[in-house]
Amino acid sequence: MKIDKNKCIGCGSCSDYCVMHCITAQDDVFSVNEDECVDCGACKKSRVCPVDAIYMPEENYEYPRCIRMQFSDPAVEHPEMKAWGRGIEHDKTNDVLGKFKRGEYCLMLEIGRPMLGVRLYQVESLLTKLISLGFDVQKDNPLFLLMTDKDSGKLKSEVLNEKIMNATIEIKLFEHNVVSSCEKIIQLLNELDTVVSVGLLTRFDDDGSLPIIQKLENIGICVRPNAKINVGLGRPLVD
Amino acid sequence: MSHSLHRYGNKEDLSNDYCIYARISKKINGEGGGVKLQRIYEIFTSEDFVNYGSLNAGCSHLSGLDDDEYKRILLNSSGIIVTYSSLESVRNVLKKLKEENLGVSIVVSGLIDETVKTAHQLDLKPHTAVLSLGVYGNTKLLPDEDTLKITTMCGHSLISSQIVQKAKLEVCNGQCASKAAMAIERPCTCGIFNIQRCSDLLNNTLDNESD
Repeated sequence: MKIDKNKCIGCGSCSDYCVMHCITAQDDVFSVNEDECVDCGACKKSRVCPVDAIYMPEENYEYPRCIRMQFSDPAVEHPEMKAWGRGIEHDKTNDVLGKFKRGEYCLMLEIGRPMLGVRLYQVESLLTKLISLGFDVQKDNPLFLLMTDKDSGKLKSEVLNEKIMNATIEIKLFEHNVVSSCEKIIQLLNELDTVVSVGLLTRFDDDGSLPIIQKLENIGICVRPNAKINVGLGRPLVD
Repeated sequence: MSHSLHRYGNKEDLSNDYCIYARISKKINGEGGGVKLQRIYEIFTSEDFVNYGSLNAGCSHLSGLDDDEYKRILLNSSGIIVTYSSLESVRNVLKKLKEENLGVSIVVSGLIDETVKTAHQLDLKPHTAVLSLGVYGNTKLLPDEDTLKITTMCGHSLISSQIVQKAKLEVCNGQCASKAAMAIERPCTCGIFNIQRCSDLLNNTLDNESD
């Protein structure tokens, strides 16, 4: 994002809305530190600028800079995945897609969330570690479009320094390894210099229970009291 | 991503925070999906709700989203999400959705025990859950937990910590909490930021300050 210096009146209203803390005052007007900006557009979306000085410059739509908005602004459709919100939908429609069956799990690592953002070299570092440890990282994900080598998880060199709000790494797990893998992966996350919001997709048992919660709590992983629950109204239903 | 997951809070202060998301899978049940979403919109808004919004239009219901424009947008959309502050509203919406049997995937974000119990009362069989296992990494870089309870209500991370701090200060100085919550909500154009819960949390700040 940029602020038009000729229009800015220096009120600073936009800076309060910047999640990356990268809008600051300089010579009576405000400007964006473009290296730290993830192009999420929160400053513009807040509609607080009285003189409409905030804009997305043309050059930010060019590769590789355009990756920032694709992974940061939920209003930007991912050009390859043809979907908003980082391009992933199966966590919402598993009742009709049937991608994850009983006994199968998807660990969802949202790196950079909440609020801190992440550079793609940090994402690459985690991705390559996970792949080298043999984890089944899911490929129908926008991150795979940025790779030079899908076997190692290496990303294209020109994108590595791009800063984004967050990216999701998804790992397929099974009944026999879900608990030990969660434990191992969470240990890896604690070495990072950003944060990761961790989600786990699981199927309900026939009796409506979620036995994985107790199994995780037995090894000290607390499951939050709130979740996303697909209530099974999609049709045709894949049981 | 899972933008209505990972909302910080305990059972007590999440008890007034639910979102219901209807999502079409274009490959599986996309045909006629827009018309179904329009009908779901009518069902969703037939009960007391807090907010909804449109990334496409760039604003939420509370920020002035035009109803007719939104219905037009839904025709070419793949989903709709509405935020509620009572389990009773969630129950009534699910009951109506079950009766209409539109075949669109429905996801409720909220307290697990309450949501599952409600689904069972309506003879629904919950299919899949996405659990939140928390936040890991260098969590020292994050703001305090009370601030995160507010900022994480926008799962796209578009709410800054400094606008929350500013709102807390203004509430302590006498501003109405709901007005302060509206100012915080502005960047969250998809409408999942629960301003009612935010007002309650800001008022709690005031109570804590005066203790």
